[in-house]
Amino acid sequence: MNRLFTVAEMTLRELARRRGVLLLLLLMPLTFWLIRRDAYVGQSIRALLLGISWAVSTAALFATSAARELEPRLRLAGYRPHHLYIGRMLGLWGLGLAISVPFFLLTVFDAANLRYAGIAVAMLCCVAVAAPFGMLIGALLPRELEGTLLLLTVVAMQMLLDPADAGAKLTPFWSSREIATWAVDHTDDGYLTRGIMHGVVVTGLLIVTVAAVFAVRLRRRRHLHHVPLV
Amino acid sequence: MNADDWLRAFAAELHQRRVAVDAARHVVAEAATHLRDGGGDPWLVFGPPQTYAAAIVESIGTTPGPRTGPVRLHARGITKRYGRRTVLRDASLTVRAGQIAAVVGANGCGKSTFLRICAGLVSPDGGEVTVSGRLGFCPQQGGTADFLLPDEHFVLVGAGQGVARGPARRAGRAAARQLGWDAEGDVLARHLSGGTRQKLNLTMSTLAEPDVLLLDEPYQGFDQGSYVNLWDQLLRLRDEGRAIVVVTHLLNQLDRVDVVLDLTSAQQGGRS
Repeated sequence: MNRLFTVAEMTLRELARRRGVLLLLLLMPLTFWLIRRDAYVGQSIRALLLGISWAVSTAALFATSAARELEPRLRLAGYRPHHLYIGRMLGLWGLGLAISVPFFLLTVFDAANLRYAGIAVAMLCCVAVAAPFGMLIGALLPRELEGTLLLLTVVAMQMLLDPADAGAKLTPFWSSREIATWAVDHTDDGYLTRGIMHGVVVTGLLIVTVAAVFAVRLRRRRHLHHVPLV
Repeated sequence: MNADDWLRAFAAELHQRRVAVDAARHVVAEAATHLRDGGGDPWLVFGPPQTYAAAIVESIGTTPGPRTGPVRLHARGITKRYGRRTVLRDASLTVRAGQIAAVVGANGCGKSTFLRICAGLVSPDGGEVTVSGRLGFCPQQGGTADFLLPDEHFVLVGAGQGVARGPARRAGRAAARQLGWDAEGDVLARHLSGGTRQKLNLTMSTLAEPDVLLLDEPYQGFDQGSYVNLWDQLLRLRDEGRAIVVVTHLLNQLDRVDVVLDLTSAQQGGRS
């Protein structure tokens, strides 16, 4: 457990020292929210959720890319692959929760007659999905520019697709949109259930995929044989 | 040649004549103090560095030649291709405990690739590597985190071995001091100079007390003093029974190593 928490702590320390990045992480959802602020309240909240998802995914993408050279030597220093990816994910989840709190308070003070618990659950889904999603892109694409473009494509697709469309359910952040509809429009509980189910399944799938990618990348190579000291 | 140059040449002579590292350091420090307090041209005071080193060796003796132990690293038949280009062909290297091996060759001949294959970071197309004991690896570049302090690097590496924070920090700072670097400051890795950052890199690789230490051109950005400190440290580690593999293109250091693998010839099927 110490290894997991050390990696999580160092991830948070690194991100906390990147003040410019932190500012942009807060600015991104705020800008999304402000642009839709004059429109229907549901639109501003959905834009806010998308902004949080994008910000946390981007942080995860860059944190994963930055650690690419460090991880193999940490592996040699005694870490197992799961210490590295779960530890980093814990740190990113922590960061995501930290940037979500002010935005949750913003919605509480700004908009009345909402199911606030639903807003909180939607934000949790955003953060839960975004960290492994950004990590997966960072692990698969070695260059940050390519990763950022892919992330941009996915988020743009998420924004433009009709949520009722069957294809929309294949986008990673559909859950938060569904839960937000329940929280803002007071629709039936089916929205909440479907949203939570989607969030849990997508998060689970992403974690399993991240685990597989890290296990392959940081595997013990077959040509290397360890024998005990004599 | 000024006094500093003379002292460096003198230190190098002592190393070449296998004077124990600590004794050599002591003798050089005494000579430096003598020159500083008494002044004068070292050539007039002590004579040529070679002559004075020979006199010192007669007086205090040398360490016995390194007692080599069991095989710690055995790489055999390593072949690696990138596309149609064969970078390594049938390269082999055996390093025993208490030995330093140098991997040399022209740019692009596969020195770093060979080391990464030995570390298990890259798969070869042919051949295998057997390692006895724990591996340590110092990459040529990268391998540190820009936004962490040196102490945090030590904690991170230490946690991998189950070492608590306090002892990991102390061990890291002590290893850094061996390279002439005080690692206690609150300076982020990205603000360290290239040479100091490489010292951090090197310190991280020795922190876990590896039995086999793989170093990929570890002296990048080092000044002359740091370079001497590095070789002092490598010789000390060798005398402690570690097996060390250094990728280098500085052939003037080859007299200090026990095994040489020239990959220029290995590419053509040659061996060490």
